[in-house]
Amino acid sequence: MLKLALALARKDLSLALRGAGLVQSILLGLLLVFMFSLSQKTGSLASGQMAAAIFWLSSLFCQTLVFNMLFAFEETQGARTCLLLSPAPVTDIFLGKALAGFVLIFLAQILFFPAIIVFLGQTVSQSWPMGLLMLFLADTGLACLGALLGALSQGQTARESLLSLLVFPLLAPLLLAAISVFAAVFGEQAGEDPTSWIGFSAAFDAIFLAIALMLFRFVYTGED
Amino acid sequence: MITLKHVSKSFASRLLFRDVTASFASGAVHLILGRNGSGKSTLLRLIGGLSRVTSGSIVFAREDARIGYLGHATFLYPNLTAYENLAFWQKAYGQSAQEQAILKMLAHVGLTPFAHSRVGVFSRGMAQRLSLARVLLLRPDIYLLDEPETGLDKTSRVLLQDEILKARADNACILWVSHLAEGQSLADSICTVQKKTLVCRQAQPQVQIETGGRTKDAQKGDEQC
Repeated sequence: MLKLALALARKDLSLALRGAGLVQSILLGLLLVFMFSLSQKTGSLASGQMAAAIFWLSSLFCQTLVFNMLFAFEETQGARTCLLLSPAPVTDIFLGKALAGFVLIFLAQILFFPAIIVFLGQTVSQSWPMGLLMLFLADTGLACLGALLGALSQGQTARESLLSLLVFPLLAPLLLAAISVFAAVFGEQAGEDPTSWIGFSAAFDAIFLAIALMLFRFVYTGED
Repeated sequence: MITLKHVSKSFASRLLFRDVTASFASGAVHLILGRNGSGKSTLLRLIGGLSRVTSGSIVFAREDARIGYLGHATFLYPNLTAYENLAFWQKAYGQSAQEQAILKMLAHVGLTPFAHSRVGVFSRGMAQRLSLARVLLLRPDIYLLDEPETGLDKTSRVLLQDEILKARADNACILWVSHLAEGQSLADSICTVQKKTLVCRQAQPQVQIETGGRTKDAQKGDEQC
């Protein structure tokens, strides 16, 4: 059980780390942080809320590129056909892609976070453990929706835009929660209790994981 | 082993198959012929479950039958090595990656010197041989072969035919789309896609008729499956 998922995640990570796709995703995120830092007047600091928004915006762009890349691996020589013929359930493909995407987004965020601290002059408050938990939950949501909607981008080039078109509105509530918690991590006075956002994010993940597991077999098929 | 019951398939308004009923036994090579665009590849995809039938059903004698697919595309990852590709597909099909088995298979298809080379630098023929190794390593019960000889040289084509015969001896069901003349001599049945259906007949020993220096094959006994 889950053999295909683990083998797929391992293979995807190996391919992503060898190619230029991940580097491009990270560079785009870093460029975004740097460009926003230029919008600040010399000596002034960005608010925690703004820094958090830029962090998650970078993560979101990175997620879109990462999942387009992960699903493109299966299209180069038609490997999708053989993946679907594997005796493992199709949901294993979803889990493998989501796991690989989760790791790659997290790797990118390891670089985005210090970039935010340095370029936007942020400090990390005492509430960083909650930020870490939020990071896990938000990345899980990004990975679930990325893997589901990334499957739509398979095959024809015209469909690739679907990922970005569909993913942004669906992820808006999760991003709102993540930005609120990360604003507190960057020392902003929280308007409401950040723990409520943690519960909300966990529920969001559970709902979208269940939906993705149900729908993936209809989205990722052998039909061109 | 595989039974098609009143299968129809259409893409939008284009009808490709109408009410096809046929069965393909295990331990036999079934050659599928037809003009370009007649739906031979689609037929294999329908049997593999990669494409949904519009109506009718496809029934397998064994639900857990393993399917191996060899086609125009190589189904390989160009940025992985030959060894890594085979190891991945073994694991993806629920087998544990066995180093000795992989190396033995690479030797069998003549790719030992390239075991740790990236597949992206392989020629078409080498990639197709590796793809053949991938299928053989998985030991499928059903072989879906869509012009698998594409890009193979004469030696590799002989290897492919030997492996098809071995698979038949192991009671596998082999569906082979091919334009090769040799295909007809290996086939147990020959099915032709014509007029949106499948016309099958038992293969018979070929009679070679010399016609002014040209050879013509004569076969008879058409019947609809």
